[in-house]
Amino acid sequence: HRPRALQIEALMMEMQNPDKGIKTQTQTVMVTDIPHAVTGNDILQWILQRLQVTQEEALHLGDLFVKYGYIYPLQEPKNLTLKPDGSLYRFQTPYFWPVQGWPADDTDYAIYLAKKNIKRKGILEEYEKEHYNMLNQKINYKWDFVIMQAKEQYKAGKERKKADRYALDCQERAYWLVNRTPPGMLDVLEYGVDRVTDPNENKKKTMEVYRREIMYYQQSIMKSRVKSSVSLGGLVKYSEQFLSSDPILSGCLPSNPWITDDPDFWDFNAKLVEIPTRMRVERWAFNFSELIRDPKGRQNFQLFLKKEFSGENLSFWEACEDLKYGDQSKVKEKAEEIYKLFLAPGARRWINIDGTTMGITVKGLKHPHRYVLDAAQTHIYMLMKKDSYGRYLKSPIYKEMLAKAIVPQETVKKSGLFGRRHLRSSPSPIILRQQEEEAKAKEAATTVDITQPCLPASQAPCPAVHAGTAPPALPHSTACPSPISVALDSTVGTEQEPEGISPGPLPSSSRRSPVATLSFGRFLKRGCWTSPVLGALSPKCPAVPHGKVQPLGEQQQLRPHTKVVSSFFQIKTDAPLESKTCPVGSEEGEHNHRRALKVICPWENPMEEGKAG
Amino acid sequence: MVKEECKALLDALNKVTACYRHMVLTIGGTSDSQNLREELKKTRQKAQELAVANRNKLTAVLKDKTVSKEDKAEFERLWVIFSTCLEILEIDMRRALELGHEFPLNVPKKHLIQTGMSGGTSGVAARAMSVQNMKYEAEHNIDVVDLKDLENEINQVGEMMYEMEMKVNVPQWTVEAKQDPGAELKSTISVGASSIGMISVEENKSFCDISKVLAGIIFSAVLIIAIVLAVCVVKLS
Repeated sequence: HRPRALQIEALMMEMQNPDKGIKTQTQTVMVTDIPHAVTGNDILQWILQRLQVTQEEALHLGDLFVKYGYIYPLQEPKNLTLKPDGSLYRFQTPYFWPVQGWPADDTDYAIYLAKKNIKRKGILEEYEKEHYNMLNQKINYKWDFVIMQAKEQYKAGKERKKADRYALDCQERAYWLVNRTPPGMLDVLEYGVDRVTDPNENKKKTMEVYRREIMYYQQSIMKSRVKSSVSLGGLVKYSEQFLSSDPILSGCLPSNPWITDDPDFWDFNAKLVEIPTRMRVERWAFNFSELIRDPKGRQNFQLFLKKEFSGENLSFWEACEDLKYGDQSKVKEKAEEIYKLFLAPGARRWINIDGTTMGITVKGLKHPHRYVLDAAQTHIYMLMKKDSYGRYLKSPIYKEMLAKAIVPQETVKKSGLFGRRHLRSSPSPIILRQQEEEAKAKEAATTVDITQPCLPASQAPCPAVHAGTAPPALPHSTACPSPISVALDSTVGTEQEPEGISPGPLPSSSRRSPVATLSFGRFLKRGCWTSPVLGALSPKCPAVPHGKVQPLGEQQQLRPHTKVVSSFFQIKTDAPLESKTCPVGSEEGEHNHRRALKVICPWENPMEEGKAG
Repeated sequence: MVKEECKALLDALNKVTACYRHMVLTIGGTSDSQNLREELKKTRQKAQELAVANRNKLTAVLKDKTVSKEDKAEFERLWVIFSTCLEILEIDMRRALELGHEFPLNVPKKHLIQTGMSGGTSGVAARAMSVQNMKYEAEHNIDVVDLKDLENEINQVGEMMYEMEMKVNVPQWTVEAKQDPGAELKSTISVGASSIGMISVEENKSFCDISKVLAGIIFSAVLIIAIVLAVCVVKLS
């Protein structure tokens, strides 16, 4: 459906007024006189006088009339513009007006082309011939009808007087010029996406309609909103931070390849280049998503994690990404492999996630799909971000990379005096991908040995995760490390204090801080897009201050809700909230806290219980 | 026998549909008149009769199990033609209704669009009704009165089409056209009479012909001169 041009039609009818309309003339074609021709200038003057608009506007409006096919030119049929001179135009018959609900039909077009074929003895324009052939294939089953109807219409036309026949031909031609534009002409009726509902329909206001409206507005009210001052502030801070690394605004070193034909920039910034540029390495310190988005950053981070014996976290994260964005056909086997490698009890590279997440994941793996590991992936992402990232930035590995990083020299622009330089293209993505695969394979081969020694140490917590029995008594506190406190909402914070948990030092290895996951749970609870389980963890906090795993049995009633909603999990969306520039988080959290239950998302239900804790 | 009957009925419906289209094109233009509205009414009623006849005949045949495979394929082809024809007819009827509402004839404020048409459509109507001359006996406000009937008839046709779709199971896409592309060119009658010749202003064919003729003349003239010279040379030597 498209909007209807009712006003134009009314104007068209006014133009016909014998007193106040446009004066018509007769067009002489050879020996025949065909009445009702108007000059472009007359049309323009009439519009000016009737609508009291400026010359420019009137010309534009008149031009639109011609373009949409309400008026068609007689002397230059293909030139659908209004010429404010003596060139002749005629009004189109109402049947051929561009009306909503009556789009030009393929069958009709086929009939028209067949008729034209008969009249011109097979001489059609090139594009018409193409259309003809295409339609013959497309609506082949109707073709017999098309031929029959074309012949009949042609014969019926002969019953009219010669002048009328001529006028009819002109009309039809004009109509199809507008509705099946020849190549090179502007297609005015290109109006974009068709709307499913008719905007001009008069909907009867029934109970159902009102009920829907109310529901819609209620949901809109409950949408979490951010103050524009806050979001704008965040935007400004982001822009300031990233200004220097923006290649368009701040220029790029050594030079912009598109200008100087020098591909060094791409070479220096290749995905897994040996020595990255300083700018790039500095960006890794902005926030965690910058680090994890950059393949070289991930590589460096992986080195660091290996030293801390938590390399499998990043590997698991990468495996999940591969699952999410890989082949649909391989989803099942990939999911199983990941489970065997990372999640199963006694797995070779077992990752440390809490029992409830593990429960969800295991359950989801019965019917694997792309996002089945989202809960676990988010958990690990948060783990890395809250825990390892901070230490990474202070580690010698990062500092070394920063020191090693190069600052390319700006290339001197060579004057192209003696002919153009040979234009080189950027490295082929196929080759790049191959290199990546090789690098990955190499990495996979080398990482096997390192994690082995860790296994015995990880065995202890393993049974606890799955059996959900007495949680191991861990000396670590639930207190969140201070860097995160900025983002935590005050309500959560106050909840924690009364429990009298001392803010202990951060655990040395993220593996041994499953407790930290509780705090993450608190933190995550704020957003609609988090696992309900993690949110549910917090109510148990006071009960088991240092237990990382809640007995799975207690979570039974929550399980049914925690079905596959993981498609809303978006790791990237964490970043804007958590970046230190954006204090949005706390406000949002408060919002969600208060209105948890009303929102439609099924996984927010546990939040109320969380508050009670 | 049955096939010929079906074909004849279908041809008749086709003819009436084509004429109806011609007439609907004229609504709202300067050729519009009370007569036109009456013609429209009569034509579409005839079309409906033919449609019903076609439907009955074809459904009877298609339900008949004793028909051979080739015959069945042929009837299915006819069925597809019939349903497409009916679709076009229904669309035209709906447009006639809309245009009829927009252009009532007796309202002095509403002017007809000056489309360049001056003649009437009685010839077309006569062709549709298969009579020599049309007789006009309707009242002077048929343009308004008729619209109600038109609405009802549109509903009827709509229902008929729905029934047809439900009862007869002929997948349209399985039918292959008998006519090749360009078949319409083979049996055309006196094409030249229709065009005034001005329409072919776009065609440069005539000019090409002239230049070709000229070239031919010049070439033959040169050839003749060459031959004459050669003969002279031979004669003199």
